[in-house]
Formats: sequence, structure tokens, C-alpha cells
Amino acid sequence: MSEQVIEMTSRPGVQADELPLNLKIGMAVVIAWVLLAVLAPWVTPADPNALDLDNVLQPPGAAGLMGTDQVGRDVFTRVVFAARIDLWIGFAGVVLPLLIGVTAGLFSGYFGGAADALLMRVVDITLAFPFFVLVLAIVAALGPGVGNLIIALALVGWVSYARLVRAEVMVIRNAEYIQAVRTLGFNRFYILFRHVMPNAMAPVIVYAMTDMLLVILAGAGLGFIGLGVQPPTAEWGAMIADGQPYIEEAWWISLFPGLAAISFGIGLSLIGDGLARMLRVSN
Amino acid sequence: MAVAIGSGDALLRVRDLGVAFAGQGAPVTAVNNASFELHAGEVLGIVGESGSGKSVTLRAIMGLLPATASITGSVRFDGQEILGMDPESLRQMRGRSLSMIFQNPSSHLDPLMTIGRQVAEPLLQHEKMRPAKARESAIKILGEVRIDRPEQRAANYPHQLSGGMKQRAMIASAIACRPRLLLADEPTTALDVTVQAHILALLADLNRSRGLSMVLVSHDLAVIAQVCDRVVVMKDGEVVEQGAAGKLVTTPQHPYTQRLIESQPGRLAAVAAAPTVAITDSPLLEIRNLGVQFRLPRTGLLRPKALLKAVDDVSIGLQRGETLGIVGESGSGKSTVARAIMGLETPAQGDVLLDGRSIRAGRLAGQPDFRRRIQMAFQNPFDSLNPRFTVRQTIVEPLRKHRLVPADRFDARVAELMALVELDPRLADRKPGQLSGGQCQRVGIARALAMEPEILIADEITSALDVTIQAQIIELLNRLRSQTGLSIIFISHDLALVRSFCHRVAVFEAGRVVEAGNVEKVLSEPQHPYTQTLIASVPEL
Amino acid sequence: MTRAYWLLQRLTQLLPVLLGISVICFALLQMIPGDPARIILGSRASPEAVAAMRDRLGLDQPALQQYLTYMSKVIRGDFGESISYKVPVSKLILEHAPVTGFLAVYVIALAVPIALILGMLAARYRGTWVDHLIRMLSVLGMTMPVFWLAILMLRLFSIDLGWFPVSGYGQGFLGHLHHLFLPAVSISIWMIPVLVRNLRASIVQQSVADYVLAGRAKGLTERHIFTHHILKNASLPTLNLFGVLVAYLIGGTVIVELVYALPGLGLLMFNAILGRDYPIIQGLTLFYALATVVITLVTDILSGLIDPRVKA
Repeated sequence: MSEQVIEMTSRPGVQADELPLNLKIGMAVVIAWVLLAVLAPWVTPADPNALDLDNVLQPPGAAGLMGTDQVGRDVFTRVVFAARIDLWIGFAGVVLPLLIGVTAGLFSGYFGGAADALLMRVVDITLAFPFFVLVLAIVAALGPGVGNLIIALALVGWVSYARLVRAEVMVIRNAEYIQAVRTLGFNRFYILFRHVMPNAMAPVIVYAMTDMLLVILAGAGLGFIGLGVQPPTAEWGAMIADGQPYIEEAWWISLFPGLAAISFGIGLSLIGDGLARMLRVSN
Repeated sequence: MAVAIGSGDALLRVRDLGVAFAGQGAPVTAVNNASFELHAGEVLGIVGESGSGKSVTLRAIMGLLPATASITGSVRFDGQEILGMDPESLRQMRGRSLSMIFQNPSSHLDPLMTIGRQVAEPLLQHEKMRPAKARESAIKILGEVRIDRPEQRAANYPHQLSGGMKQRAMIASAIACRPRLLLADEPTTALDVTVQAHILALLADLNRSRGLSMVLVSHDLAVIAQVCDRVVVMKDGEVVEQGAAGKLVTTPQHPYTQRLIESQPGRLAAVAAAPTVAITDSPLLEIRNLGVQFRLPRTGLLRPKALLKAVDDVSIGLQRGETLGIVGESGSGKSTVARAIMGLETPAQGDVLLDGRSIRAGRLAGQPDFRRRIQMAFQNPFDSLNPRFTVRQTIVEPLRKHRLVPADRFDARVAELMALVELDPRLADRKPGQLSGGQCQRVGIARALAMEPEILIADEITSALDVTIQAQIIELLNRLRSQTGLSIIFISHDLALVRSFCHRVAVFEAGRVVEAGNVEKVLSEPQHPYTQTLIASVPEL
Repeated sequence: MTRAYWLLQRLTQLLPVLLGISVICFALLQMIPGDPARIILGSRASPEAVAAMRDRLGLDQPALQQYLTYMSKVIRGDFGESISYKVPVSKLILEHAPVTGFLAVYVIALAVPIALILGMLAARYRGTWVDHLIRMLSVLGMTMPVFWLAILMLRLFSIDLGWFPVSGYGQGFLGHLHHLFLPAVSISIWMIPVLVRNLRASIVQQSVADYVLAGRAKGLTERHIFTHHILKNASLPTLNLFGVLVAYLIGGTVIVELVYALPGLGLLMFNAILGRDYPIIQGLTLFYALATVVITLVTDILSGLIDPRVKA
């Protein structure tokens, strides 16, 4: 064998030895937030919902790292506790649609036929609605609350995953290695789950990071409107809304939950970019 | 090398050309110390396999290498040094004094611009022609490259033209400003052989009628030998040999050139070693009146969905131990036949019989016996292996599924199969991305052989490989059929290859078999006009 | 013929989508847990009032009958009647739509030119500090909650500096421009990065395309290659994304109108949600979807005009 081994680094499945830097930083940020959320009672100085009417609208400093709000609650404590809600919305609001969408996209793309045509119509119809408006309308119908918010996110969000996976599967199912496995006599479910799915997942994972950012912003938006978590539970969007009437004299009530959302969002964005580079997917 | 240094009339003189690309590690040398020259009116061929640096050399001459390339040596065009020339002056030379055409005409034409405008572009740029005049000239040039109805074609977009037409359009745009030198980088590689013949004839004609000098780069020595006056052989970035075309082919000096010539499909000694086959009335595999149809998308509201007969009433048989060649150009239906045999397409009519038993009678998946007896190897070395599977996983998969060997013998059997296809056992834990094209093809063959088949369908398995690697794979198949009595259906676009490797051949055109029979007889005394055209189109070494 | 056929095909594809949209909007009312009439009127309403409301909403008929009634009304432009305002929903929508429309066009007018410039700069100077800076700002812009930014800008530019009004729509074209500046900027800051990233990626992808190399081999200037070849090819995917973005932009207006108290569709939606005025919610959702469909159709036709390889 006189052939030289060609390094084909542009092909999928070959992973760089070292994780990209932006992926590492992004993971650090996200893990830090997850830890803060889990350990909230132990890392915060106060009770998130304890009123202290003697200490209302205190600026950051002596009265607490991020000051106090209009009823004297510690803003830092509430920002940390709010992470529990917002991270949960981000997690559940991505995992549920992902599971539904990937399953639908896999079957629809691989088997085709009438079910596929029907699925694509449903996708077209759902994508005809502005994402935020449809989630808003569904939550308005179902009633406010985190549970209903996640249901609404799942009902609307899965179609993007389905469309993405379906497009990938349609390409992969015509690849010669899938034809080859078919000629070896494997059944279609084995081929779908053992060969097609693993090769279709890279863009899904990258998209999930962008989607989580979108979902958290939408969740905070619904919290801001008052359709998310109900008071007094802390949530970033709801906290920003709480601070709005006091923006003239107490900017910190709105500022810090926003910064928290941004920092978490930047973490997700870095992970998305890093994964895209590592998995060689165009973002 | 006996090159006359300082001969006054060289149009292009390349001296000690070196190109290295800066990467993450040490710079990678792509061209090293290449020297050759081209006289006015001459056609110079550069032949070499992938990684030989032949395309990089062309781009260095045109000044088209990316900024990461560091270039040394000298390139003089018409007495003027090109390397180190300021970019603006070099740009003004490109398209006017020297121009270039490329391998894949589809991607080298802007999909959003009409053919006429793309041909007129250099005229507008260099000769500052008025648009109406440039359009007129463009139509005239399109006619000169023998595009029929040039006025209408000029208004077409690239996707409306066939591959050969697009290559003609690219040539038209390259010669619009009447350059003295045309650099052609694999101009016919993406085209069918009959189209290739037309393009080569056009290039030769331009050389003669316009005195257009040319550098023709190709992996195909036969193409080079047919068109070129002199030939440069490159390997791993170096010029290993150069000389007059006829002399170089008949009396090659360098061992690599010798190997290149021995590897030419027409020169393979495979048939001499092939086992003889008795033609019987009961073939091992029989294809009877097979037809496969595809539904084309509707093109108009009132037009019905058209049916494309990809395979139309095809009947051929394969004898035990025989190698049957199937040749044809792209779209001739040759691969569809293979896919229909394997159950990857559902035939509209006809039948496939194995040992006289219909393999369409039951559900294919329910006939593991049939699965084992016919196996297939595919065209694209990288696409035919799951990128996430190691070589071992790929080969073990069928062993486990069909319980071909006990689980504790998997590793031993993988090693045996890898040895059978001459793969280094140390490659067992690599993934396709870490293998070369030839190695991937061997894994694909090993996967098929794991099923211990009686029939192997090889669908263009060497068309993506370099010619020396192709020779090795053919040698491997030849050894396998001698050792195991394997019957092979060998699908290829390459007549010379089929001639040297197959017992019988079936010639496909537009889904039908136009001629079939003993390979020597069909190819030396073709009866059907299409076969005759096909044979006449193949460049001879 | 083929282009006309393509357009016809594209339009017929809309029919099932429109049908589906109406089904989803209809289903919104069915999703309400419990008795919608009871929820609308509150727990203290008399059984007679609830029965009257049920009758008014047609809730006692079978679901299919309800849907057909709804459909036939919608086709005639009747989106139902608001419970709290006691006027047709279509009238309310038409009253509030100009504000939102003005805001949306304002955002596009601000965001598209800036995004084009930044996208071209980032692609042109890719790998340099210009590119990195634009990328960092993009990430920041995309991660900022729009309403948060709106509140902070309100505090800084309206309250502290007094440059812009705190709320309202203003009088006359210039007044609208002045009043809607901050709302439009808040949405643009989110929208620009998405466009920039996409445009940059398309330009980078197109500038290594084979036809660019062929253009250089013809001796075309870099400027000509960029303006006549790369930009045109790169604009196609960005144009398609633009249609999607406008849908998101419409979603963004809902919340920004709330912050700046703009009398647009978003504020109408918000008040309807507070007042459980389901006909308004239903009608608005339908209207938003129809607007999105029209925008997507227009971008599709535009890219069909640019791209000769008309997609089937």
C-alpha cells in the first residue's frame, strides 16, 4: 500500500483534540449559573421573598450587593433564585420540543409518504405564526404559569427541530453508507437509529443552544408581561417588570436581572459557536 | 533534464517554482523546484495524481493562490516576470494575455448571471467595450466555441445548459480577449467521454486556428497524450520527467512515469490472469425484461407528471465465475440496474432471478440467504462508510447481524477480511476521515465480503480514485475472483478498464442495452452506432 | 410559463397553510381550561349571564359547527366582537395597526442599512479586530432582553437626557419618527446582529466560491467581483432569513409597545390578555399570522425574481 494517508479534517466525526476556547468559556459560565441556581439557599444572604419595609429601594452597597427592591427584598438573592426558574424554562423549553421534533423529523424524513407531507404542512402552518405571539396566545388561553409556558413552548417549538432533522435525514438517507447497510439486510428502524440519527444530530445540538437563548428570552418576556411565574416567586423578566415603575429612582431593580439574563445568554451563545466549530456545522 | 535554457522564443518559462502553504504547523510544500517552459503555439500537458501540485502550479502562474501561499522561483510570461508583479498589473494581464478554465464548469460560472454577460465581462473590463458591442462580440465568440443558437444561449443562465455547454461557455469567456496562453485545469474531468472528445477537439482547434498556446493539466495521461506536444509529469510537488509526448509514453525514463503508464486501464494485465468462464444456459443471475421508472416533477400546470424510464426492458445474465461489465455514460441507467438487483429500487416490470429463483417474489428483507449471496460496493469512497464508525465496527456489523461467526471470533474475522483486501490491521480503529480514498474502498469491499457473497456488484468503485490506486483495486478484485470464484458485475464509464477486466460487456444508453457480448468482440467490432461513438471518443494512449 | 406556474404553485401551497392557521386560531378558544364564558365573566357572574355569554360565543354547538361558523365569518372579514370594548375586533385591529406598522417599517429602515454595512465590514475584514468587535457586539445584542434594553434606554435618553418622549405615538410623520425612535432602536439592536451574522457568513461562503476564482482568472477587479457576483449571491439566503426575522420583529413589537405605552397591536394584545377578551386575542393572533404569511410570500417572490433557478 503506497497510498499516503490524507488528513480529511473537514469531514464529520473527526473531533479536534482540544475543545475550542469559546466552548470552554461558555461551559464555565453556564455551569456557574447552574451551580448558583442549585445552591441558591446557601450562597445568598437573605430569603428571596422576605419583605423588609424599613429597607426599600436601597442602592447597591451596604444594603446588599445589588440593593433592595420596592418592598425591601434583596435583589441579589432574588436574581440567584430567579435563575432556578429561568434555567428550568430554558431546559424544559428546549428538551421537550427537541425530543418531539427530532422523533417526528426522523420518521418523517426517513419514511416519507403521506405522514411526511402532513407533517410538513403542520410545520408550515406553525411557522406562519410569529413565535412569540403564538406562545403568548396559547399561554393566554391556558392561563399564566411556568407549566403552561413550557407546554406552549413545546407546542410551538418542536416544528423547528422537526424541519431541521428532516432536512438532514433526507440527505443522509441517500448517502451510500445507508444504501450499503440496507443491502446488508438490516431493518429500517435499526438503520434509522443506529446510522441515520447519530449523523443527523450535530446541527440539532448546535441549534438547541441558539434555541435555548431564544426560549429564555421568550420566557422572560412572558414573565415581564405577567404570564409567567406568579408573584412573589422571583424570575428575571418579572423582576425587570417590577423595577419598571421605579426606574427613575431605583435603576438597580431592573438592571441586575437583565445582566443575569445577558451573562447566561452569552454563555449559551459561546457554547453554540464552539460546538458549531467542533462539530463543523454552519450555525 | 535536457531543457534548453535561455531559448529566446519561450512564451512561458517556469524556473525553480516552489509553493508552500502556511498552516497551523510547519508550512506544507505543494510545489518544489518545478521548471518547464512552453513555446508559442505549443500545447504542454502536465500530468499527475492528486496531491502532485499540478493545479497549484497553474494557479501560481495566474497569480491566483491565496495569501497563505509563499511562492519562490520565477515565472516569466513573454519575457516578463510574473512572480512579484504588482497585483494590479497582473490583474490586467489575466483574461487578456493569459487566461484559465477550470474543472467543474457548473460551479465556476455565476448561477445568477446570464452566459452572455459572463462571456462579455472580460471585454467590458479589459477592452472597455460598450455593453451592446460586448454582447454582440460575446454571441460571436459563443458561436466560435460551437454553441448552437448563440443568440438564445447568451440569454440563458448556467443551470439551463448541459455540462459540455457550460464548459464551452467558460472557454468562450476565457478566450474573449484573445489571450496568447490558455491554462486548462482538468477541463474535461467532470464530463462524459463523448462530451470530453468534443471539448478536446475544440481546444485542439483553437490551438491550430488561433495559435493559442495551452497548458493542459489532467490526471488522465491518455487525454494529455492525445492533445499535447510535450508532457510534464509531476509527483508530490516535483517534476519527475518531461519530454515530447510520443517519446515519453513509449520510453518513460522515471520509475513513476513507468508505473503511471502501467497503471493505465488499457494496459492492465488483468484479463490474461482471469479465469475462463463457461457460458451456460442457466446463468447464476438473470435479469429479465427489467424496467425501473422515476416520476419527474410536474413542469407546468397542464402537463402531466412525466415518467423517466431509467431502465427500460433490460435482459442480461451473469454466469458463475464471470465478470460482466456494464458501461454507459451518466444517466444511462447502469447504476439503477445495480440498485434494482439489490432491492434499493422497486422495478416497474421484469424480474431478477438467482439460480432460477425470483428474488422479487418475497420481501427482500425476509431473504437473508439472498442478501448474503449478492453484495455491493459503492462509488464514493468517503460517502460509502458511516463517518462515525471505525473500520472494525463497519466490518463487524454484518457479522453480528447474520451470525456469520461466533462473537468471540469477530476480531479474528475482521483481521482476516482486512488481510484479504490488503489493509494494514493497524487501521482497524480508524474512522473514514482518517483513511485515504483507496483505503476506504478496501473497507467497503471488506464489508461486502464479510457476507461471503457469490456475486459482487462493483458500482464505479474506482472512478473517484487515482489511476495507480485504481490499478491496485483492480488487481485486488482480480485476485479475489481467482481465489474465491467470485462473480462480479463491474459497472464503469471507462471502456478501457472494462476491456481489461471483464469477460463480457453490456453497453447502456438511455436505460437500454444497445449491445452486449464478449468484451473483445464488442469493443473491437462494435455494431451499434452508439458503441462506435463511445469507442471513438476514448482517448488512446 | 414556468415562472408563472411556479407563482401559481406557490399560491396554491398557501391554501392549506391558511386553513391550518384558522384551525389553530379557532383551537385557541378550545384550549381554555374550564368554561370560557365563566372565565371571561368571573366567578361572581350569574348563571344567566354565563349562559348568555355561552350563547354569544356559540359554545353550545358542536366543535365542527363552531369552526365552520368561525371560518365563514373570518372569510367575510368578521373577526368577532370584543367583549370589553363591544366593537368589532377588525375595527380595533385597523385602529391599532398603523402604529405597529410604522414601528415595523421604522425598525427595518434602521436595521437593514446598518446590518448591510456591518455584515460587509465583518466579511471584508474577517479575522481582524473589526470582525471580532462586530461579533462581540452581535452576541451582546442578541442576548439582551428587548424590554430590558427599552427600559434602560427610557431612563437614560428620555428621563435623564430628555432627548425623547417617555411614551406615546406623537403627532405627524416627524412626531412619529421622534416618538418611535427608542422603540425602534430597542428592536433593531436585537435584529441587526442576526442579520449581520447571516450576511457575513453568506459573504464569506460566497467569496470562496469557484466562480469568484474564475472571475479573478478573467482579470475582473475585486470590486467588480464583489458587487456583481458575491453580493448578489450572498443576498439570497439573507433575504430568505429576512422574511423569518420580520415575524420575530412583529413578536418583538408586542413587548416594546408595552414598555413605551404605544397604542399599537401589542398594547391591544396586552390589554386583551389582562381583560380575558378572548375574541381580541384570537383575532390578533390570526391577523399576525396572516401578516407573516404575506411577508414571507413577498420575500419568496423577491428571491424568485433574483434567482433564475426558480425553486419548485
